[in-house]
Amino acid sequence: MLVRGMVVRLVEWRAVWFSDPAQRLQYLRREMARQQDAASRPARRLGHATKITIVFAFSLAIATAVFLRPETRRLLGRTLAAISLPAISATKPRTNSRSNFKNVELSVPSKVWLVETNQDSELYSNGLRLQNKYLTGTQPRSYVAFPRDRIEPGAGQWRFQPAGIVFHTTESHMAPFEEGHTSTLRRDGEGMLEYVRRNHSYHFVIDRFGQVFRIVRESDYANHAGHSIWADDSTVYINLNQSFFGIAFEAQSRHEDEGLPVNPAQVHAARILIEMLRARYSIPESNCVAHAQVSVNPANLRAGYHVDWAANLPFHDLGINDNYHQPPASVLLFGFGVDSVLGDAGGEPLRLALQSAEDQLREQAAAQGLPLNRYREILQKKYREAHSALHAKGVLGENN
Amino acid sequence: MNTLKQTASAIGLDVGTSRIVAAQRLDKDIQFQTQLNAFVNLPFSKLTQGVLKKEHIPHLLQDSEITVYGDESERFANLFHKETRRPMLRGVLNPEEKDSLLLVRQIVTLLTGEANGQGQKVCFSVPAALLGADQEVNAHESELTKMLGEMGYQARSIPEGLAVVYGEMESSNYTGIGISCGGGLCNVCLAYLSVPVFSFSIPKAGDYIDYSVANLRGEPATRIRTIKEESFHFNGQFANKTHQALSNYYEDMIQALVASLKDAFASTQSMPKLNRPIPMVLSGGTVLAPGFLDRFEKVLRASEMPVAISEIRLASSPQHSTARGALVAALSEM
Repeated sequence: MLVRGMVVRLVEWRAVWFSDPAQRLQYLRREMARQQDAASRPARRLGHATKITIVFAFSLAIATAVFLRPETRRLLGRTLAAISLPAISATKPRTNSRSNFKNVELSVPSKVWLVETNQDSELYSNGLRLQNKYLTGTQPRSYVAFPRDRIEPGAGQWRFQPAGIVFHTTESHMAPFEEGHTSTLRRDGEGMLEYVRRNHSYHFVIDRFGQVFRIVRESDYANHAGHSIWADDSTVYINLNQSFFGIAFEAQSRHEDEGLPVNPAQVHAARILIEMLRARYSIPESNCVAHAQVSVNPANLRAGYHVDWAANLPFHDLGINDNYHQPPASVLLFGFGVDSVLGDAGGEPLRLALQSAEDQLREQAAAQGLPLNRYREILQKKYREAHSALHAKGVLGENN
Repeated sequence: MNTLKQTASAIGLDVGTSRIVAAQRLDKDIQFQTQLNAFVNLPFSKLTQGVLKKEHIPHLLQDSEITVYGDESERFANLFHKETRRPMLRGVLNPEEKDSLLLVRQIVTLLTGEANGQGQKVCFSVPAALLGADQEVNAHESELTKMLGEMGYQARSIPEGLAVVYGEMESSNYTGIGISCGGGLCNVCLAYLSVPVFSFSIPKAGDYIDYSVANLRGEPATRIRTIKEESFHFNGQFANKTHQALSNYYEDMIQALVASLKDAFASTQSMPKLNRPIPMVLSGGTVLAPGFLDRFEKVLRASEMPVAISEIRLASSPQHSTARGALVAALSEM
């Protein structure tokens, strides 16, 4: 390693001899490629040429020390001293380290690639066809995320990649899903799509025929979950308009015992859409959640302002783990109360998760030796401070 | 029109969201040609067509419209009270413009000459992946490679930030951080002895500032851009609310850029050990606002970067750095 470092220093020193920028670049690229190649091989396999180079390097260094003029020696000395062991191994930026919740199995979606594209639609290798007829844009996505263990204004980090998916229902008019109503179904769908396009409401909408429409460009934010909170095991996200994709099913929410509000075509379409998004953006399963799980009302500090998909989101049929059991971050990390509407609308799994969050909150308060209300106030203050910091950075945008 | 075609042995192309710049070496000097990467559609009339032909205004006839492209598009947009449109968006071909590739080809032809490339080497800039994104097959890159190939060039791409390093950092043996703040993206690259260590881009750049201020002030983005380019400066004294808003969004962009740079250092697995401070060069049209360098330096120095920075300077010619670097890369392969 030391020898290799010496050789690189000599390469740098030698490069200065080239006054032509292109020749210097050519020389450096060639020599650095050789060094990288050598670095990737075990030392004992060094080629004959490299061995000669090493011997030459030592000889040159000794000769320099003994024979060169003092000013040249100083120049060389500075060059050699400037960089220690600079041999570069093949450098590869780490991908985002988004680990999942501890008890959630990590599944890596298979590769999905773009097969065909034209002005109106895109076809992906898993059969997903994305229609761009209603495509619009807002502004490039950018948001500040907080480390879970340090939710404070100065700790936020800028990010530009989507971190998750929020599932919505459009709550639009629903004609009976029957052949005789085809024209009404189409008309309703088109009206809804025009509306969500105008309001930049979601990134994607899946209509009742299972067609997937891209509404807001994937690179931009959409106004789908303004007042909202979610967290995975490392990061806290406030205002998911910027950080999460919004996927809406053309559907109306139903109570738990009223069954699934979407049809098999919509479920299949959502499954391959999620597969594509997760493959393309490395989105962990734990960050694929229902709107009801993340929506909050900052005015009264209660979770459950919106309650779409509070029950019956078919996580498993969508190819992802059931996330209803995850304690909502709004309650657990920021001491939010639970709106009675959410309690009523929520299915059994979500109700249990909310209860679990409340229990954990109580335990944490006890561990701190604080009454629950006081502990809640401290957490709620954290939320207000973080929210104000985001507001000051101008990243909250429109809320809903 | 003076194009680069006559004697160019290699060409460097900066294919940017707002401008396309071509560079070639003539003897020891590098010559640059620039065109706006924009167009405007006008309703067809024989009179208009006649005027365009007579005045040698670059244009295309399509269906019932005339498309004026390049520098002249801005003049005609003003004449006809229209906004210019862009073949590219945030560093890549604009998916919402069906003729985006054709228009880029026309503009490149304006810069390099009518005849085909006859095997000349062309190195063209491409944006790096957004920070945190996995590298993926870049449709933009492959479409441009194919297009230039069809034009007769031997085309190779170079990440924009690396092109800035090659264009501006010869004196440090191509070691340092090159940053290009363009229209659609800010591109960043750290290189060590010509080898890229990391490259990334962020989507906050000139257009983000223009459109954000335009939304806030209720004015067209084109007008905001004009104000930004003609009268804005970072001296803390703002003549009006538009200048104040421009300052806020510039600040936002700078903060995001510096934070991203820190993230990139933190997430790079294998860094070369640098025992001496490295230089940083800022380039691109967005850095031209007077006072930008001071403001950027202040934010950067306050951010506790994990490597020592020897100097932060503006590129010698910020709008030409990427093309110059692409040219140096192309020449180095001959």
